Amino acid sequence: MKTPQLVVDNLSKRFGELVALDRVNLNVEKGAFVSLVGPSGCGKTTLLRIIDGLDFPDEGSCLLNGELISGPGSNRGFVFQADCLLPWRNIWQNVKIGQEVIRKRTPQDDAQCQALIDLVGLAGFEKYYPWQISGGMRQRANLARALAIDPDLLLMDEPFSALDAQTREIMQTELMRIWTVGQKTVLFVTHQIDEAVYLSDYVVVLGRRPGRIREIVTIDLERPRPLKIKRSPEFGAYVDKIWGLIENEVRASLAEELDNKNLPTS
Amino acid sequence: MSIVSRSQFNKHLTQPKVLSWLSVVTGLVLWEVGGRFLAPNSFFLATPLQALEAALQLYRVGELQQHIWVSFQEFILGYLIAAVSGVAIGLLITMSRITSSIMNPWIDGLYATPIIAIAPLVILWFGIGIWSKVFVVFSVVVFPVIINTEAGIRNTDRSLIEAVRSFGATRSQIFFKVSLPSSLSYILAGLRIGIGRGLIGVVVGEMFGARAGLGFLILQSAEVFNMPRLFAGVLLLAIAGIAMTAAFHALERSLVPWRRDWT
Repeated sequence: MKTPQLVVDNLSKRFGELVALDRVNLNVEKGAFVSLVGPSGCGKTTLLRIIDGLDFPDEGSCLLNGELISGPGSNRGFVFQADCLLPWRNIWQNVKIGQEVIRKRTPQDDAQCQALIDLVGLAGFEKYYPWQISGGMRQRANLARALAIDPDLLLMDEPFSALDAQTREIMQTELMRIWTVGQKTVLFVTHQIDEAVYLSDYVVVLGRRPGRIREIVTIDLERPRPLKIKRSPEFGAYVDKIWGLIENEVRASLAEELDNKNLPTS
Repeated sequence: MSIVSRSQFNKHLTQPKVLSWLSVVTGLVLWEVGGRFLAPNSFFLATPLQALEAALQLYRVGELQQHIWVSFQEFILGYLIAAVSGVAIGLLITMSRITSSIMNPWIDGLYATPIIAIAPLVILWFGIGIWSKVFVVFSVVVFPVIINTEAGIRNTDRSLIEAVRSFGATRSQIFFKVSLPSSLSYILAGLRIGIGRGLIGVVVGEMFGARAGLGFLILQSAEVFNMPRLFAGVLLLAIAGIAMTAAFHALERSLVPWRRDWT
């Protein structure tokens, strides 16, 4: 087996009493598309943030290309859930901010930004401000911003969750196209099981309380995958299998949220 | 009048700007007419036209320009010093918890204190020249500027900071690329609030001791019951306040074009 690009080694993270992640181990090889799914509170976003260096583990470690991750760095790009483009910068200025932060920009960087803006389908919108474009376009810009530093690993935290169903499907196919061009390693957090199955080589299913990996499901669907593959029986079988793994816990977490909401009034 | 032109007339009439001007003009006309009936000897109240006449008269002898010039210098010097030091202090406070813990009780306390009350004391310290008034203006303008600057930096959206931090940005990069631009609209709002407060500072300062200025003119006119002159001073201050605030709104719009809540 190839040496993995990303190694998550016996990682634990606690927030007070709550064990967000409990001895998580995960290997991801270069160029793979891996999704993390699980009920809310399973620590999938926490795991992503630790790999990005925004949070620190209590125990264990992450290695990227054999190097210990000790903080944010230019070999990882993070695409956030909320649209967090800087409102006072236009699309062009937003896409180049990562390059600005890590080095003195060169003309090649400009060419790189332009190529990415073209790649994500925002050509002609460089001068627009975030509030002047749609949610889907903002997430395209977010993706271009993360890719502009040419990271080895792309971390995506529910990037399409704020989009409507149609835009979401379009963005999934767009992401597939962009991933095929760039062949980046991608870790993708999502709530939507069908989104995970559609995009991924592997789906990592996490359980909650404590957050740990329950199963890693290999998705053996040939690429490129047309959208209509979502209506095929094989696709349905994968979705059913993963849903079966987390159904009880999703119900438990929903019940808990309802309890918490009722608590003050009862 | 045909139906079409009447509806067009109504459309023009209901435009916000037109309505605002109409409201002001109507108010002035009512004041003019009411004033002439209620206070015919202009002993308790002057009408707008009488005030205008008094202003023109003062202008012809060169006195008005002198008052405006003196007040203008006091205002602009105090205001600029307060703007620069207010922003600087506001930024300094956010640098560390220690500085903010030391400074905040003083700033909150002094902001709430009517500093205007110590204006007579300031005249004793600085004399009746322009510097006493500059100090009064400074002391009323600086606090809203400090407080807004600090609030602007503190209210920077965490997710924006995190987005830039994920690229490995340093503290100073986060400050210059995120916190500072994000707080710009707060800082400008603080400076805008400062305009009105600064004008009050000029007038009150001059009333407690001055040789010239619009506040001095108002006080002197009140003492001799010269209402047209008094109202000339008041109206000039009102116009200055409105004009500067409007100019500031325009400045905010051009400097903070990403804010969508401008009307």
